Amino acid sequence: MAGLELSTLPQQLVNGILLGSIYALIALGYTMVYGVLKLINFAHGEVFMIGAYAALFASWGLGYTPNNAMSGSNPINLLIMLLASMTLCGLLGVLIERFAYRPMRNQPRIASLITAIGVSLLLQYGGQLFLPSSPAPNIDAKVNPYQDNITIPLRPVDGTLVAAAKQLEAKQIETKTAFDGYLERTKESPFQLSAAGQPFKKAAQDAERDLRTAEGKAEASGLSIRLPKGQMIMLVTTVVLMALLNFLVMHTKPGRAMRAASHDFDAASLMGINVNSTITFTFLIGSALAGAGAMMNATFLSGTKIDTFFGMLPGVKAFVAAVLGGIGNIPGAVLGGILMGLAETLVVWAGYDSYRDAIAFIVLIIVLLFKPGGLLGSNKVEKV
Amino acid sequence: MKFWLGRTGSILLAFALCAGIQLLADQQSDFVQRLIVLAGLYVTLAVSLNLINGITGQFSMGHAAFYQIGAYTAGFIAMKFYAGAKLPPELWMILSLLTGAAVASVAGLIVGLPSLRLKGDYLAIVTLGFGEIIRIIVQNQPAIGGAYGLSVAPRFEMIWLVWLLAILCIAVCRNLLKTAHGLQFLAVREDEVASSAMGVNVTRTKVTAFLLGSAFAGAAGALLAHFEGFVSPKMFTMDVSFIIVTMVVLGGTGSITGATLAAIGLFFLPEKMRDLPNFPLGNLVATGIGIVIMVIGFRHIAANFHGKMVERVLRYLAILAIAVVIALVLGPIVSKLPTLGVPVEGAKLRMVVFAVTLIVLMLLRPQGIFAHHEFSWAWLRKVLRIDTDKKVTA
Amino acid sequence: MIQNRFVQNLRFIPMNRSLFSAALLATVLGITAVGCTGGETAKDKPGETPSATDAAGGGTAALRPEPSGEGVKAEGDTIKIGIVGSLSGDQKPWGEDSIEGGKMAVEEFNAAGGLNGKKVELLVGDSASKAEQAKSAAEKLISDGVIGIVGEVASGHTIQIAKSAFQKAIPVVAIGATKTTLSDEGTNVTRVCYTDDFQGPVMAKFAFDELGLRKVGVMTDNQQPYSQGLSKSFSDKFKALGGEIVGEAFYESGQTQFNGQITELSAKKPDGLFLSGYFTEVGAIAQQVRQAGMKDVKLMGGDGWDSPQLLVSGGDAILGSFFCNHYNNREDRPEVKQFLEAWKKSHGGKEPGTTMAALGYDATKLMLDGLKRAASLDSKALIAAINETENFAGVSGNITLKGANGNPKKRALVVEVRSEKDGFQVFRKAYEADEVK
Repeated sequence: MAGLELSTLPQQLVNGILLGSIYALIALGYTMVYGVLKLINFAHGEVFMIGAYAALFASWGLGYTPNNAMSGSNPINLLIMLLASMTLCGLLGVLIERFAYRPMRNQPRIASLITAIGVSLLLQYGGQLFLPSSPAPNIDAKVNPYQDNITIPLRPVDGTLVAAAKQLEAKQIETKTAFDGYLERTKESPFQLSAAGQPFKKAAQDAERDLRTAEGKAEASGLSIRLPKGQMIMLVTTVVLMALLNFLVMHTKPGRAMRAASHDFDAASLMGINVNSTITFTFLIGSALAGAGAMMNATFLSGTKIDTFFGMLPGVKAFVAAVLGGIGNIPGAVLGGILMGLAETLVVWAGYDSYRDAIAFIVLIIVLLFKPGGLLGSNKVEKV
Repeated sequence: MKFWLGRTGSILLAFALCAGIQLLADQQSDFVQRLIVLAGLYVTLAVSLNLINGITGQFSMGHAAFYQIGAYTAGFIAMKFYAGAKLPPELWMILSLLTGAAVASVAGLIVGLPSLRLKGDYLAIVTLGFGEIIRIIVQNQPAIGGAYGLSVAPRFEMIWLVWLLAILCIAVCRNLLKTAHGLQFLAVREDEVASSAMGVNVTRTKVTAFLLGSAFAGAAGALLAHFEGFVSPKMFTMDVSFIIVTMVVLGGTGSITGATLAAIGLFFLPEKMRDLPNFPLGNLVATGIGIVIMVIGFRHIAANFHGKMVERVLRYLAILAIAVVIALVLGPIVSKLPTLGVPVEGAKLRMVVFAVTLIVLMLLRPQGIFAHHEFSWAWLRKVLRIDTDKKVTA
Repeated sequence: MIQNRFVQNLRFIPMNRSLFSAALLATVLGITAVGCTGGETAKDKPGETPSATDAAGGGTAALRPEPSGEGVKAEGDTIKIGIVGSLSGDQKPWGEDSIEGGKMAVEEFNAAGGLNGKKVELLVGDSASKAEQAKSAAEKLISDGVIGIVGEVASGHTIQIAKSAFQKAIPVVAIGATKTTLSDEGTNVTRVCYTDDFQGPVMAKFAFDELGLRKVGVMTDNQQPYSQGLSKSFSDKFKALGGEIVGEAFYESGQTQFNGQITELSAKKPDGLFLSGYFTEVGAIAQQVRQAGMKDVKLMGGDGWDSPQLLVSGGDAILGSFFCNHYNNREDRPEVKQFLEAWKKSHGGKEPGTTMAALGYDATKLMLDGLKRAASLDSKALIAAINETENFAGVSGNITLKGANGNPKKRALVVEVRSEKDGFQVFRKAYEADEVK
């Protein structure tokens, strides 16, 4: 409800795109499965959850357990975690398809949808029996070697303000040494001071505050955006995967098979396409992408807690992203995901933090009312 | 005349039944009363969603929103107006039931309108989104308690009313289907273009379905508010909507009988599992294997055996027996393995059993337990008489 | 075939329609008719009428209504009391600790001979970190015949338990529920912890005086009433002291990405951030705050931070932060030492991970203490006895409930978050109940 702060807008746009790249990766899986099977794979969010656990266990396997002080890491570790997560998720996706969706293929779609909800509940609650979930674990931040930021200045800071702040530094150091010296002499705790120590403390606090205020002013005079390296990797990966996937679907033989199957199973199989293996392949790719998203989400956003409901919210939002972009459309999923991320951060920017989880749906409803097929989707409405 | 006798008789019977439930519930503990009330509410919810999903074919996944709106409306008017109204509790409850239904149906109208443009999965995700939006908006209104929730005071617990609402809901849906209006709903479900060519007002039919369905959900919400004495946004998350949809589909899309029985069954299943003891993981694994064998066997029979009914049933029973024996024998054996001997907390299995039941039932009977059938004496006679190789489902 | 049925029905429309509406009308009228008979039973139920009249009476009604039910008598050879805690979900660490603490208190009580030879049996209810589960767990316990309930740790859960217990006039001793208005539910509700309108101001005073902060940003978990209440009491006091709340941000439990909120707060250049949510999100927030470049900003919170898991999720980012807690394992009081010794004996030499163990122990012991003093062995006498508690020497400090409206005056400790090696929580400063108001 606060007034709009223009200075944070560039940073928020960056935040939005970075957040959107996670949604986009998950949305790609939804969109592929939907494109071929016309099935909302409700268990996709749970595949994402399992991917996060796979990455967690891989990181534990590499020695980054909570009780083990490791220092530093390297990209190879990340790659191992990524592979573990993508492999496991791919396999899980194939298993789910084989045992829960394939038997339902000739049945009403709502029945497969309920099966999907069932699988999703099974993974959420069954997972609680085997996976550590309370207290929820998280991947140790130290496994991520890309914790720093790339800072891109948009407007330089005011030199005179920086100089002014520099001048206050001497006073801060002086008062702090005086206070530390006092504590050293009297062996008092800074929190249980005698009356004699109070002036020292007050002086140190005042000087520190003045310094910080001046520094803050100097910083605010400039404008820069901060690109967290880890999340940048996530964004680049998303875009690369999208391009690869688009190539796969549009320009390769398996891709042509997928497109054919999505049009008509029977006709496709008459043309010599193995529909079953095509669908299996689709699930493999889609689920592996969810695994990649999960690993990067859990690793690059340090401290992210992982429990068996980890995939629920991202799953629903990614599905909304896929529908927003036009479900079944690969660039549409990425566009939808990024738009969703932007919408969420812009709502926060505008001061309506509490509506962050609602905005996804509000955008969706508005878009669908005007373009029922999604942004990049065809407007051909289909029948349940 | 005979018809009127039957009708009056069934109305009287309904009241007698509700009075009976109330008398029975009064003897029980709060815990059991709670189960009785919630079961009744879930029946209302499932049957009213069935009107939208099953009968009219509009895939709605936001039923919890109407439930929530009804609950908050009842809570709000009790807080604001009860003191001034000076009404006897029974009249007040009817009034808040109607208000809850009215407000929820306004919301139903708002959701129903997009349904004119959207179909299938798109409608599903929009209704799901609508549910979430309502929940988040409510959560951010301090005037009605925000995240903390709203206390309902004064509150009146009337168990008979809960079940009367459920029966009323069933009666309305059932009678609706016996009129030309009802056939319009079915026609819209089967084919919109054809039905509009036949003179069915598709727009009006869809909106009516949403209005009626949401009104009943709202009324159920009002009763929930008074029974719990407290409503909070957390009570109306998407899970609730999912569970209601599941009840409808599992019972048989479009079947009122199915929705009713599935609502009761699915509600009691997890509740019954609350006190499950701990047991070794091996038993769980063995049970899983048994279930897989049963599913594969049953599906094989359903697909390949076309003999007499009796023989088929015998084959089903044989598979079932094999599965049970394997599960029972295998359990203690694999539990000897060190990794499979670890105990599993039985209480944690509640939702797992729920999920497995869903999957297994859908795999074995995708059209739902009752498919599109309704319970009637004629239907029962027909089922019992069948001994040819024709399947009941058709 | 459908067409056929359609035509058939068309012929009957007039009749069917009128029948249908007549039936509907009859049913609606019928509801009112039955209402007059069925309603009586509802009215006769104990606990129904007082709450109705209280609310109808308007705002002037007494703050803590007296439960009017006749209460529950202890029957048989054992006296049953119940404890509710989360054995699964987010709050499992607290639930487990508090239940273990409760069991310990009961074992000690029984080992010391029980009450005139009668043993106490502790029944456990699982609230699974959900308010509605807390309610049904409490109702299950009540139907199993308990005469008192200990619990819960979370305010949102306790209020549900309190409502169910009020109707049956059963006492509830809350363990860690700090929401201020909780005890207004009825005289049957008491607690062994301080309230949010104490711990918020304590942290405000600590931030202002001891840390010298003047510009603070506040982050609130909008799904947790606890967090909302705490943020408010902190902000009010901090502003009253002369500080400035430069920004407020909100999130919901379960979210994992806070960059949007953090960017907004960071633009306001605060000296400190008050994170009033639970440890489940605070660790991730701390890491993302540091990553966003707020290196020197002091982080603070309430007793919702109290779990060793905070160190796992917060990593290095959370070290050097401060939060408010109920007691500290390092305190030099005989009660604390005895408790820790007994705990270590039954838990393989480990100290309890959270303070909820001690509070659960205190709450249960307080109820057993009330049982000793109760005039008769029923829940109403127990309520009276608990409300008369004076100078009960608990692990977490002295508790007096007489004349306290269910909210004992307790002291609060501010602790610093240090690494596991340094003992996680390092005591910094204690505030007495009268020091902050």
